[in-house]
Amino acid sequence: MAPEVSSTAALASIREIEREVAMLRMAPGSDVPYQRTSVMTHTAWVPPEWVEAAEDVLAGLAERHPSRTIVLVPEPGAQDGLEGEVEVDVFPAGEGREICTETIRIQLKGNRASAPASVVEPLFLPDLPVFLRWRGVPDFGGAAFESMLGVVDRLIVDSTEWPDLRASYAQFVGVFERVAVSDIAWARTSRWRRQLASLWPGIADVKKIRVTGTAAQAELLAGWLRSRLERPVELEHEEADRLVAVDIDGEQAPFPPGDPPQPADLLSEELDRFERDRIYEEAVRSAATASPE
Amino acid sequence: MTTASLEDNPLLEGLEVRRAPDPCILVIFGASGDLTKRKLFPALYSLAFRRLLPENFAVVGAARSEETDEDFKERMKEAVQENARDDFRDDVWELLADGMRYVPLDFADEQGEDDLARTLTELDQQRGTRGNRVYYLATPPVVFPTVVQAVGKRRVAEGWTRLIIEKPFGHDLASARELQQVIEKYFDEKEVFRIDHYLGKETVQNMLALRFANGIFEPIWNRQFIDHVQITVAETLGIEARADYYERAGAVRDIFQNHLLQLVAITAMEPPIDFTADSVRNEKVKVLRAMHTPGPKSVVRGQYGRGYIEGEEVPAYREEAGVDPQSMTETYVSAKLYVDNWRWADTPFYIRTGKRLARRETTIAIQFKRAPHPPFEELSAERLRPNVLLVHVQPDEGVSLAIGVKVPGQGMTIRTVHMDFLYGGAFRTGLPEAYERLILDAMLGDATLFTRIDEVEEQWSLVDAIVAAWARDRPAFPNYPAGTWGPTGADELMERDGRSWRRR
Repeated sequence: MAPEVSSTAALASIREIEREVAMLRMAPGSDVPYQRTSVMTHTAWVPPEWVEAAEDVLAGLAERHPSRTIVLVPEPGAQDGLEGEVEVDVFPAGEGREICTETIRIQLKGNRASAPASVVEPLFLPDLPVFLRWRGVPDFGGAAFESMLGVVDRLIVDSTEWPDLRASYAQFVGVFERVAVSDIAWARTSRWRRQLASLWPGIADVKKIRVTGTAAQAELLAGWLRSRLERPVELEHEEADRLVAVDIDGEQAPFPPGDPPQPADLLSEELDRFERDRIYEEAVRSAATASPE
Repeated sequence: MTTASLEDNPLLEGLEVRRAPDPCILVIFGASGDLTKRKLFPALYSLAFRRLLPENFAVVGAARSEETDEDFKERMKEAVQENARDDFRDDVWELLADGMRYVPLDFADEQGEDDLARTLTELDQQRGTRGNRVYYLATPPVVFPTVVQAVGKRRVAEGWTRLIIEKPFGHDLASARELQQVIEKYFDEKEVFRIDHYLGKETVQNMLALRFANGIFEPIWNRQFIDHVQITVAETLGIEARADYYERAGAVRDIFQNHLLQLVAITAMEPPIDFTADSVRNEKVKVLRAMHTPGPKSVVRGQYGRGYIEGEEVPAYREEAGVDPQSMTETYVSAKLYVDNWRWADTPFYIRTGKRLARRETTIAIQFKRAPHPPFEELSAERLRPNVLLVHVQPDEGVSLAIGVKVPGQGMTIRTVHMDFLYGGAFRTGLPEAYERLILDAMLGDATLFTRIDEVEEQWSLVDAIVAAWARDRPAFPNYPAGTWGPTGADELMERDGRSWRRR
């Protein structure tokens, strides 16, 4: 297990955070900093109710994407202020060398929660892409969400976390022209999409699909088929916590090979993408405009 | 139902479609050998682990020793557990083992060939492999022509056939051409995959990415800005249990003729128009053709004597088991080469390889010319260290750039620092073994990372000329102690040009 160096002090300004990061990057007992090879800044907007789930994913992610991660926890009801904490993790990189990654956790209290871009932008690694993982339903049109959209290169959501799907999708469409997006719910369907594509040309005239999985997976799969095949496809959805079956006009599609990916794997894959996913965008547009079941 | 074809399947758009090989059988000749155990099966397991093998797949091991299918599976299972880079999973292994067979085979006896043909036909029926074959020649080179003939004569009409041939491809130009003549009787060049496993290494391929995916390097990648290039393939190991092979090959045939010259070709080649097999190989062969034969003074050979590796005393080459006590086989070779073309004229490529050297490393060092006139009073141009771009092929896979920076404080003192990119730091997915990539590419029919016959011929022409010059003298071997950087003659080779070998 990698050794870990962690700050315990509550840091009240960006300057203090920067100083703490620089200090923790120094290897103990040495005046030489740990080596850092960075490929991006990963920012996560994590309301308090999502903190536990987010930390689980980050734990599985840190070693694979050794970059700077900034976790923003908004607490708009609290008294104005910042409270930061820095953690530096050190991983062996072979031949006795070590690589460090940094995680900066910041509680945005009171009004500070409405202008998060001004907090994180000074902490971005220069000239590298910035990914934003937004936990829960984005605050479409809200100050915090709008401010962050202006400074990131890719927005990553998980529409499984959204309660009112079609309405949220309809609002989400408005984001597509502003920033490239990824949806973990969509990524979870990729094995099934590949499997359904393998049923071509038999699947070309599909009229109805029945999806046993999350609502987001069902809506996205149906939206994908409608948009790709340019024909109406009726959706019947049976709730399950993961995608376990797809019926095409009453006939069950074969189960895709391989193990389903873990949450950290899914986020990790999205962090490797840079271009717009127009197929996803069309699926969302189609899901947003579909008539109710 | 619609009659739309698979080519215009709209559901595939945007999906990451992995290159999937056709169903096939991989036949490994030399299945009882070290390569099969240490490299080939661990690579196959890693491919199975990542689901990169075709669904309809089988592996047949063929060798002279008597063994049952079950013995073979058990032995390979242990090999995978010992050598694979991935965790051992029973389900993955079972999937692979299910399609494994073993055929005892002595090419002097037609019976063995009949057994092999029958096994392959049965597997085609059982596993739907459609007559597609990849034959892997992991045997001693002396058997290559026999295996090629045996396989060629029994080619089946159905399916495709590919032949993977381990190095060395011949032991000189004449023998390489002889082997090629046998191959040509039965196989088209597109069906032949000559392995130089260095080309399968991620860091070697990264050299192509570094050069051709970055706008900043190519404009200065020439004689105008580069002072010289140093390529090192250094091993701390001795010859292990390979005395029989090594006594005949020596460093010049074992490493110089293939790995080192391929690294020179990749460093010096012009940008290919695309990354197809022929485009890349056309450019590499132009470099090999443009290399002129170095004179005797530009080549140094050596043989290690007793010395110390990691504090432990190790025997001299002539004391190794199976080695002639008067052996004149070289365990070290270094050379100064020139690539006679517009880009590289007069720019030396210093290359070296050896066994029992001070450290294990494979590096390509591009040394740039010094800054012509530093405007600092305290510093003359001679004291400024040149910039070096260092590609670490192994270990510490990555790239470093040595630059001069000001030491904080009064005055203007310049110190050289390294900016390091470590593969393990930026991408922590684990680098695939070269054999994984190469076996998969051969199944896919992609020969980009394999050497074409004209490249092999150019490499042998150069080596033959060097070896011919060696016949005229008899150096005093051993001439370097194990655990050092080679003979003093190698240092003198550099010193004559006012340069020195890199020491890290």
